Amino acid sequence: MFGYYLRLALKSFGRNPGITALMVIAIALGIAVCVMTLTVYHAMSGNPIWWKNDRLYAVTMDNWDPLRRLMPNLDLPPFEMTYKDTQFLLASNIPLRKVVMYSTLGVISGVGTEPPAQVATRVTTADFFAMFEVPFRYGNGWSAGADKPAQPVIVLSRAENDKLFGGANSVGRTLRWNDREFRVIGVLSDWFPRPRYYDLNGSGSFQPPDAAYIPYGWGTDLQLLNQEENDCWRPEKLDTYRDYEASDCVWQQMWVELPDAASRERFQSFMDGYWAEQRHAGRFPRPKDNRLTDVAQWLRDNRVVDNDNRVLVGLAFAFLALCLINTVGLLLAKFLNGAAVTGIRRALGASRRQIFAQLLIEVGLLSVLGALLGLALAALGLIAVHHLYAAAHLGERGGYQELTHFDVVGVVWAVILAVAATLAAGLYPAWRIGRLAPAVYLKSQ
Amino acid sequence: MSLDIRPTLSALLRNRTGAVLVAAQVAIALAVLANAAYIVVQRIEKINRPTGIDEQNILVIESEGFTGRFHQTTSVQEDLAYLRGVSGVIAATATNSVPLSDGGDNDSLVTRPDEPRHGYINDIEIDEQGLDTLGVKLVAGRNFRHEEIQPPRTKTDISHFVPVIIVSRELGEYLFPHQNPLGKQVWDVLNHAATIVGVVDPVMGTFPHGDYPGRVFFLPRLPDEFIGVRYLVRTRPGQRDTVARLIEAQLVTSNPDRVINYVRPLTYFKNLSYLGDSSMEIFLLTVTALVIAVTALGVFALATFNVSTRTKQIGTRRAVGARRRDIVRYFLIENGLIMSGGVLTGCALALAAGYWLSVHYALPRLDLYYLVAGVLALWGIGQLAAWQPARRAAAVPPSVATRTV
Repeated sequence: MFGYYLRLALKSFGRNPGITALMVIAIALGIAVCVMTLTVYHAMSGNPIWWKNDRLYAVTMDNWDPLRRLMPNLDLPPFEMTYKDTQFLLASNIPLRKVVMYSTLGVISGVGTEPPAQVATRVTTADFFAMFEVPFRYGNGWSAGADKPAQPVIVLSRAENDKLFGGANSVGRTLRWNDREFRVIGVLSDWFPRPRYYDLNGSGSFQPPDAAYIPYGWGTDLQLLNQEENDCWRPEKLDTYRDYEASDCVWQQMWVELPDAASRERFQSFMDGYWAEQRHAGRFPRPKDNRLTDVAQWLRDNRVVDNDNRVLVGLAFAFLALCLINTVGLLLAKFLNGAAVTGIRRALGASRRQIFAQLLIEVGLLSVLGALLGLALAALGLIAVHHLYAAAHLGERGGYQELTHFDVVGVVWAVILAVAATLAAGLYPAWRIGRLAPAVYLKSQ
Repeated sequence: MSLDIRPTLSALLRNRTGAVLVAAQVAIALAVLANAAYIVVQRIEKINRPTGIDEQNILVIESEGFTGRFHQTTSVQEDLAYLRGVSGVIAATATNSVPLSDGGDNDSLVTRPDEPRHGYINDIEIDEQGLDTLGVKLVAGRNFRHEEIQPPRTKTDISHFVPVIIVSRELGEYLFPHQNPLGKQVWDVLNHAATIVGVVDPVMGTFPHGDYPGRVFFLPRLPDEFIGVRYLVRTRPGQRDTVARLIEAQLVTSNPDRVINYVRPLTYFKNLSYLGDSSMEIFLLTVTALVIAVTALGVFALATFNVSTRTKQIGTRRAVGARRRDIVRYFLIENGLIMSGGVLTGCALALAAGYWLSVHYALPRLDLYYLVAGVLALWGIGQLAAWQPARRAAAVPPSVATRTV
C-alpha cells in the first residue's frame, strides 16, 4: 500500500509541479535557517568536557574592592585570582589534581631556517594535561617536579610542531623560547575545545588553545605576565614583579579536580579557613564569596552564549513557522484542486482513513524533499558564514568561524524539523480533504 | 462610490481558512520585519558612530623584542625615526594599545586624592605625534611636548604615572561636569597626580562595546616592555597599502633581536571588533528578505487559487455587467481585507516580540516608527502580490459563465 501511495504522491506532484516546488522550497528555507542557527548555537553552548562536570571546578575568591565589583553587571567574584592566593591553595593535597596557569607571549627561534615568531604560550602547573584530558601525539607533559625549580622543557601544539618540525616527532629536539634553550618533551594531537572553557579571557571564547606550554616556575623566573587579562584595584606599591606577585591584582587562573562531594567540601572549607585568616589580617574586604564552579556553570557565568545568538534562534523558528503556514495554505489549495480525484476514489470505496494516510504520505514526501534541500542549503549557508568570518580574521583561527562546521547535530535537527513540519503542515489539510463529501465533487464535473 | 466591502467580507467569512493562513503569515512577517529592521538600524548606527580617528589611513605594527640584547627605548626611537622618514607617512607614534580593537588598558581617575573610585577609564599611551597620527582634533589646550614623553614602565618600575594628560571632551565632562577641565588635576589608581593640558573631540578609545567608549585619556609615555610595542602610522590617503609593504620589508630585518608580529590596517581591528554586529546585520537582512519573499508568495498563491476556483462566478459577474476593473477591485479589496487583518494581528505580535526582546536580551524597546513603516511596506507588497492574479481574473471572458464545464 505504501508503495502505491508513494506513486500516487509522485503523480500528484507531477500535476502541479510549480506549487510542489514552492512548497519544497518553503520547507527547505525554513529548515535551512533553523539548522544553521541551531548548529552555531549548539557549538556555542556545548560543554567540551561534560563527562567531568562533577569533578572539575574553577576556583575563584572575591578579593575585590569593597566599593564596587570588577564586573559591575555581574554578581560574581573576579574570574582570575591573585598570585599569593593561588600559591597557598596550590599547597593543599585535597584535590586529586590542581592547575594554576595563565597565557603569556613568547618568541620561538633557533629551529632550522624558520624565522623567529611569536606564539601564545601557557605557563602552567604539570596537571594541566591530565586534568583537561589533553591528547598527546608524541611524548608527554612534565611531572610536578619540573614546575619548581623550573625545568627547560616545552610542549608544542600539533600546529606549532607542524610548522617548526614538519610534523615529525620532535621529542628531544631543542628550540629557543624567548632566547632561552628549551627541550621539546611532548607534542599534542589535534585539540580544540570549543568554547575554550579552561581560559575564557582574552579575545573571545573560541580562540584556539595556546601553541606552547612551559612549566609554571618559569613565570617567576622570567617575570612573565598574563597577556590576556590583568586587573588591579588596591592602591598599593607596584614597582617590581615581586610587588605584583604580592599584590591584590588578579591574573592567575586556577582549576581543581575534586573526585567526590567529600573532597569538595573539604577543599571549600580549606578555602574558607584561609579566607578567614587573611580577612583577619586585613584582606578580603568584601563579604565571603569563595567559589568552586563546575564547567557548565562557569560557561554560563562567563556569558559564552551571547544574546544575539539566542535572538537569531528565535527568529529562525519564527521564519520556520511562517514557512509551514505557507505550506499549509498551498497544500490546502492543491488538495482542493485535486478534490475531484479524491472524490472518485472515495466513491470507489476508499475509506476516509485511507485518503488521510495517502495524503499524509504525500506531505511526508514533500517534507523529506524539503529537509534534504534544507540540509544542503544549510551546509552552503554555513560555508558562506565561515568564509565571512575567516575573511575578517585574515585566515587566522579563532572566533565564530570555529562554530560554523556542519555536524551530526545539524542532521538530527533537520530530521526532527522535517517530521515536525510534516505533522504541522500536513495534518489539517489531509484531515479536511478526507472529510469532504465525495458527491459534491463528482457532481460538479 | 461604494467599496463593496460588505459582500466581499461576507464571501471571505464563508471560506476563511486560506484567508486566515495568509493573515497569519502576514502577522509573523510584520513581527519579524519591524523588529529585525529596528535591530539592523541600531547596529548600523553603532558601527558608524564617529570615532574622530582617520580609520582608513592608519597602519598598526606590533614589534616584540625577545633577546637579552633588546633595548626597548632605543628600538622605539630607531623605529619611529625610520617610520617618520618614509615617504607617504604623515605621522607615527608608539602606543600600548590599538584604538577600536576591543582590547586595551584601563585606569580609574578621580578628582580628589583618595576619593572612592567608581568606574574604569580607558587610557592610551602616545607620544607627541599621537594625536596627529590618530587624526583626532584638539578642541582646547595643547598637545604633548616632546620632553614630556615619559620612559616606558619596566619590570622594576611598573607603576609610575605621568605629569600631564589629554582627555576626551566626554571624559572631561564626566570628571568635571559643567566646568572647564583644562588645568585641573586628577589622581590615578595609586594616587599619583596629573594635570589635564588638552581636550580632544570627538574620539573613541579602544573599547567600542563598552558603556562609555568615548571616555578616554592619553598618557605621554612610551609603551611598557611587558607586551610588544605597537606603532600607529598614518599615511596619505591611498598610500596605506604601499607603505605597509615597504615598512614591513624593512622592519622585519632591521633588528634581529625582535620580531614583527604584524603590519595591519586599523580597519582590520575595527572590522573584527564589530564582526558580531555586522554578521548579525547580514543574517537579519537575509532572513527578513526571505520572510517577505515567502509571505508575498503566500499571498500570490492564495489569490491565484481564489481566482482559479471562481472562474465561473467571475464569468457570471462579467456577463451581468461587471467591468474588468470591478473584478480587479473585488480581488484587491478582498486581499486588502486579509492584509489588514494580518497587519493588525502583526502589530500586536511585533509589540509583544519587541517587549520580550527588550526584557530578556536588554535590547531597546521597539520604536513605533518601524512598526508603522513595516505595516505600510507589507500592505503594499501584499497588494502587489495580488495584482497579477486579479488581472488574470479580469481577463476571464463572460462566455465562460454560459459553458457547463
